[in-house]
Amino acid sequence: MLQSKSFVKKTKQGRVVKVVREHYLRDDIHCGAEICKVCQSSSVRLSSSASILIIDTNVVLHQIDLLENPAINNVIVLSVVLDEVRNRNMSVYNRMKALCTDAMKNFYVFSNEHHRDTYVKEMVGESPNDRNDRAIRFAARWYQSHLGEGTQILLITNDRENKRKAVEEGISAETIESYVRSLQQPNLLDLVVIPTSAVKEEIDDLRPLKRKAFYLEHKPMSEITSGLLHRIYHQGKLRVNRYNPFEAYVGSESIGDEIVIYGRVNMNRAFDEDVVAVELLPKDQWSGVKSFIAVDDDEDEEDDIHMVPSSADAPPRNTNVANGHSGSTPIISDRPVGRVIGIIKRNWDSYCGSLEPMPFPAGNGGAASALFVSKDRRIPKIRILTHQLGNLIDKRIIVTVDSWDCSSKYPSGHYVRTIGEIGDRDTESEVILIDNDINTRPFSVQVLACLPPLPWSLSVEDMANPHREDLRHLRVFSVDPPGCRDIDDALHCTTSANGNFEVGVHIADVTNFVYPGTPLDEEAAQRGTSVYLVEKRIDMLPKPLTEDICSLRADVERLAFSVIWEMTPNAEIISTKYTKSIIKSCAALSYIEAQARMDDSRMVDPVTTDLRNLNSLAKIMRQRRVDRGALTLASAEVKFQIDTETHDPLDIGMYQIREANQMIEEFMLAANVSVAEKILKHFPLCSLLRRHPTPTKEMLEPLVHTAASVGLDLDISTSKALADSLDHAVGDDPYFNKLIRILATRCMTQAVYFCSGDLAPAEFHHYGLASPLYTHFTSPIRRYADVMVHRLLAAALEIAKLPPVFLDGQRLTQLADNLNHRHRNAQMAGRASVELHTLIYFRKRPTDTEARIVKIKANGFIVFVPKFGIEGPVHLTAKGDKQGDWSVDAKGQTMTKAGTNTSYRTLQTVRIHLEVVEPQPHRPKLELTLI
Amino acid sequence: MVGLSAGEKQFMHGGIAQDLRSDGRQRLQFRPISIQTGVIPQANGSARVTLGATVVIASIKAELGKPAPLRPDKGKVVIFIDCSPTAGTMFEGRGGEELSSELSVGLQRCLLGGKSGAEAGAGIDLSSLVLAEGKICWDLYIDGLVISSDGNLLDALAAAIKVCRFIFLVRFEISSPWQVALSNTGIPKVSVIVEASAEDQLEVNVSDEEFLQFDTSGVPVIVTLTKVGRHYIADATSEEESQMSSAVSVSVNRHGRVCGLTKRGGAGLDPSVMLDMISVAKHASENLIAVLDSEIAAAEAAEDDGS
Amino acid sequence: MEYVSSLTGFRFDGRRPNEMRQIRGEIGVLAKADGSALFEMGNTKVIAAVFGPREVQNKSQQIDNQALVRCEYSMANFSTGDRARKPKGDRNIISYSADHGSKYINTFDASFSGKNLKQIDIFLQVLQADGGTRSACINAATLALADAGIPMRDIVTSCSAGYLCSTPLLDLNYVEDSAGGPDVTVGLLVKMDKMTLLQVIALMPTFFFFCCCICFVLLFV
Repeated sequence: MLQSKSFVKKTKQGRVVKVVREHYLRDDIHCGAEICKVCQSSSVRLSSSASILIIDTNVVLHQIDLLENPAINNVIVLSVVLDEVRNRNMSVYNRMKALCTDAMKNFYVFSNEHHRDTYVKEMVGESPNDRNDRAIRFAARWYQSHLGEGTQILLITNDRENKRKAVEEGISAETIESYVRSLQQPNLLDLVVIPTSAVKEEIDDLRPLKRKAFYLEHKPMSEITSGLLHRIYHQGKLRVNRYNPFEAYVGSESIGDEIVIYGRVNMNRAFDEDVVAVELLPKDQWSGVKSFIAVDDDEDEEDDIHMVPSSADAPPRNTNVANGHSGSTPIISDRPVGRVIGIIKRNWDSYCGSLEPMPFPAGNGGAASALFVSKDRRIPKIRILTHQLGNLIDKRIIVTVDSWDCSSKYPSGHYVRTIGEIGDRDTESEVILIDNDINTRPFSVQVLACLPPLPWSLSVEDMANPHREDLRHLRVFSVDPPGCRDIDDALHCTTSANGNFEVGVHIADVTNFVYPGTPLDEEAAQRGTSVYLVEKRIDMLPKPLTEDICSLRADVERLAFSVIWEMTPNAEIISTKYTKSIIKSCAALSYIEAQARMDDSRMVDPVTTDLRNLNSLAKIMRQRRVDRGALTLASAEVKFQIDTETHDPLDIGMYQIREANQMIEEFMLAANVSVAEKILKHFPLCSLLRRHPTPTKEMLEPLVHTAASVGLDLDISTSKALADSLDHAVGDDPYFNKLIRILATRCMTQAVYFCSGDLAPAEFHHYGLASPLYTHFTSPIRRYADVMVHRLLAAALEIAKLPPVFLDGQRLTQLADNLNHRHRNAQMAGRASVELHTLIYFRKRPTDTEARIVKIKANGFIVFVPKFGIEGPVHLTAKGDKQGDWSVDAKGQTMTKAGTNTSYRTLQTVRIHLEVVEPQPHRPKLELTLI
Repeated sequence: MVGLSAGEKQFMHGGIAQDLRSDGRQRLQFRPISIQTGVIPQANGSARVTLGATVVIASIKAELGKPAPLRPDKGKVVIFIDCSPTAGTMFEGRGGEELSSELSVGLQRCLLGGKSGAEAGAGIDLSSLVLAEGKICWDLYIDGLVISSDGNLLDALAAAIKVCRFIFLVRFEISSPWQVALSNTGIPKVSVIVEASAEDQLEVNVSDEEFLQFDTSGVPVIVTLTKVGRHYIADATSEEESQMSSAVSVSVNRHGRVCGLTKRGGAGLDPSVMLDMISVAKHASENLIAVLDSEIAAAEAAEDDGS
Repeated sequence: MEYVSSLTGFRFDGRRPNEMRQIRGEIGVLAKADGSALFEMGNTKVIAAVFGPREVQNKSQQIDNQALVRCEYSMANFSTGDRARKPKGDRNIISYSADHGSKYINTFDASFSGKNLKQIDIFLQVLQADGGTRSACINAATLALADAGIPMRDIVTSCSAGYLCSTPLLDLNYVEDSAGGPDVTVGLLVKMDKMTLLQVIALMPTFFFFCCCICFVLLFV
């Protein structure tokens, strides 16, 4: 059965190594066709009713969206094609894999490389590419003769040479385009990627445009390589400013600084996250770049209503220096400014958005060219060609980029699929998820196979484990938001004879179920965090773990990882103990319940007493933290009341923070700090910690200006000073202090995970918490960082071995980066979801309410609506009329209407009207107008 | 090593004197030689040579290296011989080391002109191994393994090295900034990508499209003449070697030039005998080369049929 | 890495998970040894030479009414892809040999029926290593012992198996072997149906015994 063939391969791995591998050819590979009498029928996937397609590698690589369409069926995928695809583009490969296993599609994988009759040997002087093309044709010919003339075998290839040779050899071959045309489904044509040259011709036909190069020609690769070597060019990943798509940064190692790139022309067709080569502009062009924005800014930055960044982790909007203030402050000119001269690695993806509203072209039947606007503002508009314009105009669609020629202003792409109608809640939720790259696919079989069998219960081994302490006798309870099902923390508090307290924080022992290196672990590492949208939750771990096995629910025995302190009544920690444990929670309380118990003086049951003790300790700890300089920052979180049936929001309001919340938060912070100290002591070079960089003076400048305009003097010299001045910032109304805190929050950068080996200990500092060390330990069910920290702690206690990933510094840094990225995306998604629900809420409920001015602009101001936690522009003049008769004072803090004494200043309270309008059909947006 | 009785010794000496050795050969006759090439697929070239009961394997691996600072225009060749204990219990543990190093030195002297004499490179043209002068060159690692030992290991090993059909790896392409002139490498059809990553570090890109067969026809063969009693014999078995007084190994190339010379054994040799031996060895080498050539042709033909 | 294609079910080299590589054995390859064999499992090639039975060389090692089996294992310089120089005196190799030697003693002790043998030396020379060298060595040694005419209670055979991509794989080659999954080498007395060697590397989840089972079944073929 086995035939052996030794063949020779060479690889380059820095050194030149000869590799020899065996290659077995077999006679037991079936053709998979229904009609075939010779081969075993168990593996039949191809029906004989239609012609059977064999697809070339280039078709898979470029037309994967089309292949995913149900219309394309009965396809033979050769293993040589799959191998080539895997080497060229992993994500296409994975999609292809999914297609081949899809029961709805008849895609059959034929191992031509291992079949005795279809294996072809490389000929002398033949390039691997030619050899593979030959192998494809050879297999096609084999199929034709194997199945006989009754079945049509059609080779689909867009490689002209391959097609020519195939026809010469007597194989029927067609290009993908002509094949799709023959199917007579005009909609399918939208999915076909047409080579750039063809697109250009068609566009030119439609719109006789003057031919002009919008962008500089990219430099050839060889020139880039040598330029990088001689440090004329700099390589780095381009990151487009989320809030101003005409500004981007390239972090360059060669000059150790970020290079700023202003305007689309200088970005030269680079997308966000592309690896680019940059040339520095002459120094005299570094400043005065503002004009660049103006020149280029024909897409006009639109101010949408959006959620207020809600925590210190949230990115600021147009405020700090890193984001290149596009307002009136001059741009600091010592930052290097450059332009992209070549793209080393593209990061093209598919994007979610909608078509730009446009008048219907006269003949609706043919192909029309339309502009696609992505939800992600960093992505430029994309030109697509569609045969179903009328159908798509009010839909959210996904579009992929194919090319960007220097003579076209926008990149060209093609339509992939429709998500649903614009404004529809489900559609928009899906858009949010896609937009933030959140994996919503169900967990794979391999991942689910890693779960322990259900129903899970405490086993004898767990009890016998010497590292696991039995704490079931303790009165442990949990306090969470109402309806919380993934409970990852619980507490206990007992009084000892000497008057001290024993306080324990018990965290779900997720790592007892998630072993390093398993598919489950890898999936969780990839997802990084659970994502909470208003109406649903996308889990990091499969449901049986999050809601049952790990969740520290009441009255069941659960495994935990505990941090137990002995504390004096003054909340001084005397000793800390870390241990794996078994607990049995006696109550799962909500914040409201816990608060009610503490407030109700009639209640004297043990749990309530524990709560009160904990609360008094927490208050002391909190005060101590504040004295150290921790910032009490405010966020404008809102809470929706959701209709259980329609899932539409019924009510909206600020999230109320109670003492109980703060109490839990305090102990979680303390546990995190204790764990951070422990793991860093044992693993000074490979601990995963969380830092919050001290904001620079420049970043806090807008806050100081705003505060100064209302006569408030903020001291920003240290976090302690800032905290104190924030405490003293009491205005004439109760909300003033909170408003200032919200503004302060927005000036901060976000806290990030990092690997302790990557930074100097001085940089470990967490500014917001005023703690020299911090990490995340307390939510392993929903954050992967905590899972890693659990493993570190277990290794520090010598309960388990340290997984090898921690010893690979580079890998660890990558992991931390991914966690930061996922964390941020999850936040963005959460916020977008709130925005979406706000919009839905106001659609039927135009409302008048109070708002605070937070920023003065040339033609209006930005207001913050505390009640709904939203922020948006109020226009005082018509659009296009840039200035009107309003003038803004020098500091940008007040605006006055010429000839009158009507004026507005920051932090002033105004009354506004909230209403959803549709300025263009199917493009609802929330509009704020002054009453 | 080999225990022989007095009678056996007498018989051997008598036979040699009468030009009829114990196994029926004449004094200058070789045992039948058989060759199999490509036995170690992972190597760039390899061969197994069977000479009577002597079996050796040679392999050549090429790795990219940097030329020695003193000889920027030359590649490097390292010869290392190992005696496997499968050849006999005396090679168990460290037992084979002495003979291994003796054989290594002998081959180095005969093929390269001595350990330090890489300058000469009588057998292998070292300058042909340079890809970019002073920067990058091929290092050849020649490994010999004695699997079964019945005398005349040196000749067998040299023959094995000679018949390793040494296949060079690559076609290189040239890219700026270093345009490397390769006309002087003497290896036809080879071009190089020498791509610069850091200032003094060269990165070589290898495309696996073409092979180059290294011409080993210039590599000399070794003929060892072993003096037993008053006569010298070629291709001695280990029994005969146990009775030798001295032995001279002469490496001779295709053109009849002597490339290297080694004398072993305790007894001295008269210079005239030495000269005589050299000319005899030269004559014997012509036969040996002819035999090897035909064996290579046969091995190639067999391999072509096989594939 | 996908060591077993989820689409075709084939391994890199075209084998199914439960298939061995092509094996080839040849006896009497060395004229000078009392018994010798060349054994190939795919690209793994091993030569075994047996010397003896003969007088025990080092009297202190003699054990009453039991044969002394000694074993030495060496790898040729060219046996691996990257030519790391490992001279014979290398400490690692020596300890490796000793380690291996004792393995083979264990493997063969049980199988000698002749008690009058004194000393048997087994030398193993790995010519090419492409995974499964340990198994190939055992098989080669068996053949060489048979060639030497040493009476044995039974034939010892060996094979390895590993666990990658949630699939048990028989007879790992180098690429699969270096993937870091758990692997097991089993030595087996075929007729007596007894195991003489079980060597396990890496953590072994319980379901992994699966592998062993497959390994066994195939050895009977």
